[in-house]
Amino acid sequence: MDVEPLLRLSALGIYFHAIYISLTFGLPVAIGVMLWLWGRTGDSEYLRAAKLMTMVLVVNFALGAIAGTLVEFGLVQVWPGVNLAIATFAFAPLALELIAFANEIAFLILFVVTLGRVRAVVSMLILAVYAVFAYFSGMLITTVNSWLQAPWGVGPLAKTLYPFMPEYGPLAVDVPKLVAVKAGAMAMGQPLSILVQQPGLAEKVGIVLYDPLVAMVSPYAIVSIFHNILAGILIGMAIAAAGWAYRYYKTGDPKYLKLVKPLIIVIAILFVIQTPIVSHFMGRAVVEYNPTKFALMEGAKETFNNPIIALIAYHDPNKPILGFDHFYAKCEELGETTIGDIASALGLGVYLGALGVDASNIAGVKLKDVCIADLQKAERLMLVVHYAYYAKVITAIIGGLAAATLFFYFIKVPALNPLAVRVASLLGDEKKRVFLLTLLVLAGTVIPAVLGWYVREVGRKPWTVYGLLYPEELATPVPYATSWPFLAFAYLVILAVNIGGLLALYIVATRGYKFLELLKRGVS
Amino acid sequence: MDAVFIGFLGLGLSVTFHVLFTAMTLGVGLISAWSRHMAYKTGDPWYEVFARKTFKLLIVSELFSGVWGTIITVFLAGFFTALLTLATNTLFIPLAIAVASIMIRIPAIAASWYTWGKISPRSHTMLMWIMALSGFGVPLGFRAIFAEINYPHAITYYLQTGNNPGFMPYTNPLFWTLYLHTVAAVISVGGFVIASLAILDRDVRGAQLGVKLGFTLLIAQLAFGPLYWLSLSRYSPLLFNAVNTTYAPILAVKLVTVALLAVLGYKALKSLETSIPGNVKWLGPLALLAVALGEVLNDGSRYPNMVLMDNEGLPVSLFANFYMDIPLPMVYMILAFLVLSIVVFTVAAYYAIYRRFIAEVPEELS
Repeated sequence: MDVEPLLRLSALGIYFHAIYISLTFGLPVAIGVMLWLWGRTGDSEYLRAAKLMTMVLVVNFALGAIAGTLVEFGLVQVWPGVNLAIATFAFAPLALELIAFANEIAFLILFVVTLGRVRAVVSMLILAVYAVFAYFSGMLITTVNSWLQAPWGVGPLAKTLYPFMPEYGPLAVDVPKLVAVKAGAMAMGQPLSILVQQPGLAEKVGIVLYDPLVAMVSPYAIVSIFHNILAGILIGMAIAAAGWAYRYYKTGDPKYLKLVKPLIIVIAILFVIQTPIVSHFMGRAVVEYNPTKFALMEGAKETFNNPIIALIAYHDPNKPILGFDHFYAKCEELGETTIGDIASALGLGVYLGALGVDASNIAGVKLKDVCIADLQKAERLMLVVHYAYYAKVITAIIGGLAAATLFFYFIKVPALNPLAVRVASLLGDEKKRVFLLTLLVLAGTVIPAVLGWYVREVGRKPWTVYGLLYPEELATPVPYATSWPFLAFAYLVILAVNIGGLLALYIVATRGYKFLELLKRGVS
Repeated sequence: MDAVFIGFLGLGLSVTFHVLFTAMTLGVGLISAWSRHMAYKTGDPWYEVFARKTFKLLIVSELFSGVWGTIITVFLAGFFTALLTLATNTLFIPLAIAVASIMIRIPAIAASWYTWGKISPRSHTMLMWIMALSGFGVPLGFRAIFAEINYPHAITYYLQTGNNPGFMPYTNPLFWTLYLHTVAAVISVGGFVIASLAILDRDVRGAQLGVKLGFTLLIAQLAFGPLYWLSLSRYSPLLFNAVNTTYAPILAVKLVTVALLAVLGYKALKSLETSIPGNVKWLGPLALLAVALGEVLNDGSRYPNMVLMDNEGLPVSLFANFYMDIPLPMVYMILAFLVLSIVVFTVAAYYAIYRRFIAEVPEELS
């Protein structure tokens, strides 16, 4: 089955989900800032702003929940092979996510219902609890995604198949069983779910994972959590700031500028934490755990020397940037070893028998050939990943500079304030310059996030679970899942709901009430 | 308690909560959309206010019912990996219908509430109908799973031939009675719940409308319920026997509840013309109790089996996750936090509905 259409469908769902998640992460901070200012000054303008952003947050939350449902069902329905991961490595984070999701909704409802009816500090407290659960949810989902990027707990398993890969944490799995499941699917030429769906199979196979919490202690996951959540907060806040800046630009009413200022200050501070610090550690994790992804990002067909990149990536300017030539050479080290040799060494016969699979058809396949073929698939993505990565870096720098300019435009720091005013004045009058700079901040958060996610996801191909499983092995066996009627139906629903939802968000955020006479008459 | 039993119990708990909330919101959504439609057509402001009041119940409970849906999926994937994988591979079309319906329903609810008064009444009425009707697509998909685990019609075909059964789950002899029973039940529950809330608000017209709808659909249920029960005797004898023997006390309580609902509903229907009977407020809780008991009977009484094939049952353990030792302390902690979320939700619902913290007329903000 050609799984490309399913990958695109899933990517569309994930991108829509990402938009809503960004608002879910960023708006609570923006609303919190407004509530704090309302509590401090008593100025009802801040409360009105908080209420309007809360309306947007709720519609956005509903859209995020359904887009999340789509992603979740995408996982279990379109990629049912993932169920094996959910039953093992992803069990703990997804089970804990239930706590986060249920309480996130409960506290959001409580916040909405009580906003404006209780003191600012109480509202801020409820909002903070809601936000804690929202970020906790983000942490756990990022943990699961990170396990796909760097399968923590499989130790040297991926390295055995691909010698250029590192070890992924401690060995917490029963290697023969796990390899038998993979070999079984390969031998059948069928997706993994054909095996997983068998009643009684789990009891026959027995324990595969010894440490259910291992995915949660992955260093790749920890740095990804900070990186993704901060990115989400920045985007959500930048959208809010751009919205208020647009109103200021259209109306010239200084009350809107008053709302932009505090948001920009927080954005600029977060930018300083995210771009140079957290992003650096994220990059270091990629260098260490996703060697092919790093080579794709740097366009390293051949190994080359670049002291600046090497200093950032390895903290050693003399170290060469490893390219695909190095990886191919590593594949050659596998010599003439075949899958049959591995099966004999691990004693897979017993487990393959339990699975009811005859793997003799793949016994003669050389590991070296598999390794080289996978590298060739990855290498084909070099151009697009390389340019996407550098476009991300450049736009993030532009966004950071715009945020810094606005920050010093508002905050009177000697030397920097006059400089910021001079730069900003190049863009026109105050309304225009604030709006354009806020737009640049927005672009500088959204574009890097979109491209960053693209690099993160496409860069780990040809695997879905890096170094272990391909998308074809996880896809649904249902033949019409890739037929045009199903895809047309799926695209229609996804696009209609999301475009309609985004339109609703826009109406909620921008339009006043016009048709309330009947309701007012009824109530009076 | 072992992990398999805890998994079954957790799954049962989440299915029951999910069904309780959805039963309430599907019926209430329909009533709200109809009232909005009547307000648009007749210009009667009472309908507009009634639509808005009933909608409050939706906005506080729909997302929460969605949470329990997610909990079901995680329980299935985490505890019953084989069952979920088999279901997704076999019942691909019903699940796609359910997911598409959820995707339309939830944003339509949020959009309906927050665009109220901001878009034209005609567009808003259309949006409300989309919201209300899309809800019925959810059980159209998910009830196929329930019919199949009671009588594996499409699953048997899939396991025997290896071919995907496509729309075959809809030819399962148990499906349509179960689905129609569900549809009648949710509208009836919606009507009774609305009647209870309206009477607390001393809104006689609202209570009349709720009782009429609740009672009429209860009569329809009295046809579909026994029909489903009889179908079980033929297609799922194990479940039928369990319901009538081991679980007979629960069946008895359910029948008494339904009888009480019918009597009180009828009395309310008669007396609401002249006075406000106090017992109307009990109709909603009774209807919800009947739903919960029905779900326990339909789902819980299969234990220790998960899938029932004529006189044979496939035990829960055949579908369970043995790929690792499930950390039970974590499961207990999760269940405790879920209870916390129910408490918080109840507080929010109390303030939203009884203390009127959600305004009937939206506040101008721009």
